[in-house]
Amino acid sequence: MILEARNLCWSARGRPILAGVDLSVSEGETLGLVGPNGSGKSTLMQLLAGIREPSSGEVRVKGRRLAEMPRRQAARMIAFLEQQAETTEAITVRDAVELGRTPWLTPLQPWSAEDDRIVARALADADMEGFERRSWSTLSGGERQRVHLARALAQCPQILLLDEPTNHLDIQHQLSILGLVARLPVTAVIALHDLNQALACDRVGVLSSGRLVALGTPEEVLTIERVHAVFGVRVSIVTDPCDGTRLFRFRPLA
Amino acid sequence: MSLALSQQAYVSRLGRGALGFAALAAAILAGTCIGETPIPVLVVLQTLANKILGAAYVLDPIDMGIIWNYRLPRAIVAACCGSGLAISGMVLQSLLRNALADPYLLGISAGASTGAVAVTVAGLGAGAVSMSLGAFGGAVAAFLLVAILARAAGGGVTLHGTGQIVLAGIAGSQLFNALTSFIITKSANAEQARGIMFWLLGNLSGARWPDVWLAVPVALLGLAACVWFARALDAFAFGAEAAASLGVPVRSVQVVLIGLTALVTAVMVSIVGSIGFVGLVIPHAARFIVGVRHGRLGPATALIGAAFLIAADVLSRTIIPGQVLPIGVITALVGAPAFALILVRGRRAR
Repeated sequence: MILEARNLCWSARGRPILAGVDLSVSEGETLGLVGPNGSGKSTLMQLLAGIREPSSGEVRVKGRRLAEMPRRQAARMIAFLEQQAETTEAITVRDAVELGRTPWLTPLQPWSAEDDRIVARALADADMEGFERRSWSTLSGGERQRVHLARALAQCPQILLLDEPTNHLDIQHQLSILGLVARLPVTAVIALHDLNQALACDRVGVLSSGRLVALGTPEEVLTIERVHAVFGVRVSIVTDPCDGTRLFRFRPLA
Repeated sequence: MSLALSQQAYVSRLGRGALGFAALAAAILAGTCIGETPIPVLVVLQTLANKILGAAYVLDPIDMGIIWNYRLPRAIVAACCGSGLAISGMVLQSLLRNALADPYLLGISAGASTGAVAVTVAGLGAGAVSMSLGAFGGAVAAFLLVAILARAAGGGVTLHGTGQIVLAGIAGSQLFNALTSFIITKSANAEQARGIMFWLLGNLSGARWPDVWLAVPVALLGLAACVWFARALDAFAFGAEAAASLGVPVRSVQVVLIGLTALVTAVMVSIVGSIGFVGLVIPHAARFIVGVRHGRLGPATALIGAAFLIAADVLSRTIIPGQVLPIGVITALVGAPAFALILVRGRRAR
């Protein structure tokens, strides 16, 4: 198991946000996390990334406790794409992506040609080639999201944690980012809103009111009854006549 | 290929460093030459040769005295204060992600003044505590108070885009300035009070060699920390959480750098009094010139800050013949309009 969560709990001002989450992710797997607004997806992602300390329970990366790992070492293994990280600094796309090399550099180990290659590759993978000199403030929401993805890729992580990476993206870039993550030889945990996109993950976890209520293959987990119970919508499953793919269709409760 | 590239980078870095050092030397030299009685550069250089290299140029002893005992230490102290305050402002702006952060606005200078006055006037510590140490205590107390107040008001020191920390800083400044006035009125005699009031507005006329030996190491320490932590400071561009996910130990970096900022500010305030706007305006000017990456921004901020305060000091000595203006008046005259500009530009960016 490359990433494990054991009995993770987190509460804010005495109110439990996450309670008793157990989770393990094996190497190379893509795990989707779904759940309604406020179900604790973002909190779980932050705990898995180690930028928040759990109230109780622990996260282990390759068997080692994340809380005891130096931040730099953790950041060489885990890259985390937050929701909507913004800046007022006048930085360029290139500057922002270069930040991804931070965990690999020290004052005594300065920037090298290898870092240049990694940054160029990350920009290409996120489809942001040619944007290097553009200033952050001139980018659209979707372009910013892709720059954040390039920054995460420049970290050369083994584990990629993505908190709603397809927000703000047009449909073409939604598909290209999810396709890219699927192609990359990394372990990925992705919080998603679109249940049809979650169907493409290797496994799916369903969060509801701070608890992980189901974890398994999309077919096992995303049943009509469960989606109805957790999200409060009526669901029917349709089949795409082109290739036989299952798709959800949602309607409000009558 | 990679080796050649990095060597090239080192050479250009060395070249920029040498250029910066030359500019700093030129600024200090100018600060030493210009004054009520202008002294030719040659005489200044000959004096330096006599004093440092043991040369034996025949010079007017009065000129030599003015240069060696007054103007040179004054120019060096001005350079150190300028760079120290500017770097403190830059670090606070980056860590708090607030374009308006600086040691003066956040009340750190006011706290340092209170600490210094408590030691010198009210006799806190009964002679065992130095003025700089008292100023450091005051600076740390002021920042803690402001940080706690900002957090209680819902801003916090790690969140972005909030005005709470600046508002809390204003409240803190007022409180500590009032405390300072209270201590002075209660404990100082009229002559002491006059001297302290003059010092509080920022005044370099008391700068001598012992001040140089205090200011230079502290300014160098501040600069070295900026260079050492340059990548960590860069990583704060998208906030403390993004910095953490990039491998920066956020809490310890914040404690070390803010502590260092308080130390630098406190030492500078204990030497020259509290000078406003340097820490606010100079980092923005430096960003405009060299960009936002701290590897370059730190040294550039230090250099521009040094040159700016030397220039401000020269102006304060020469603008009204026969009178010395508090240097804080000059920096505020330049800084206040610049501050307004930043406010207006910040609003447009939003």
